[in-house]
Amino acid sequence: MNTNKSEKFTTATQMDNRTCTVFLNGELDLSVAPDFRQVMEPLVENGDLDLILNLKDLKYIDSTGIGILLSILKVRHGMNAQFYVREVPAQIQKLFDMTGIAKFFASQENSQ
Amino acid sequence: MKEEMQKVQLNLPATADFVDIVRLNLYGIASKMGFSYEDIEDMKVAISEACNNSVLYAYNHEDGLVGVTFEVSPEALIITVKDEGESFESYEKSDEGATLHGKELGEAPIGGLGFYLMQALMDDVSVVNESGRGTTVTLTRKLTRSEEKV
Repeated sequence: MNTNKSEKFTTATQMDNRTCTVFLNGELDLSVAPDFRQVMEPLVENGDLDLILNLKDLKYIDSTGIGILLSILKVRHGMNAQFYVREVPAQIQKLFDMTGIAKFFASQENSQ
Repeated sequence: MKEEMQKVQLNLPATADFVDIVRLNLYGIASKMGFSYEDIEDMKVAISEACNNSVLYAYNHEDGLVGVTFEVSPEALIITVKDEGESFESYEKSDEGATLHGKELGEAPIGGLGFYLMQALMDDVSVVNESGRGTTVTLTRKLTRSEEKV
């Protein structure tokens, strides 16, 4: 448990012929929101692949980050394309539950 | 014995790049006070949301400062986030109705969650907005002693 160090936000993308998984690492906050949007934009628009965010190594998210996830949910929903989050750390799940975004992820899962 | 209150003050540029520095300081102070890991994570979110609002709305993209004060007492940590900017637009319409609960995806607004998170994660939140003279957000979290106190 090393929370006393601020970790630079990075992403790694893995694709196969059915899914695109983006691994998030570090702190997703206001300062890196534009970078994250830029990484996600072309992936979100590709409706042929299921889009998955793996949050295992995400240390922190703020309301800006949650706002980006909400806009991705909207776009994917509008395209009738899948979007999931995986391996959500407890502290981040707590924020998803508090804000109410959790139910949108859950309904994506159920419609699978 | 007189009640002890110690202060730590930070002044930072009101840009997104310095909000992580505020979190690092919070971590140091709160862990020294004996707050739990979960409490510190909650406070990290709340303090960042207060700073984000100053960064986003106070100075209308011009240079400015955010002052963060940590008041440490045996019972609580009181954090003040202050800017000298114009306004705090986003606060005016944020309340519990700002969450996504009970909303369909199509009608869910992007944004407005920051103030709700501050309220939900802290014991007390107050926002004082003096027109033209800035906004002060005060966040309080009580220190609950763990049972195995030494």
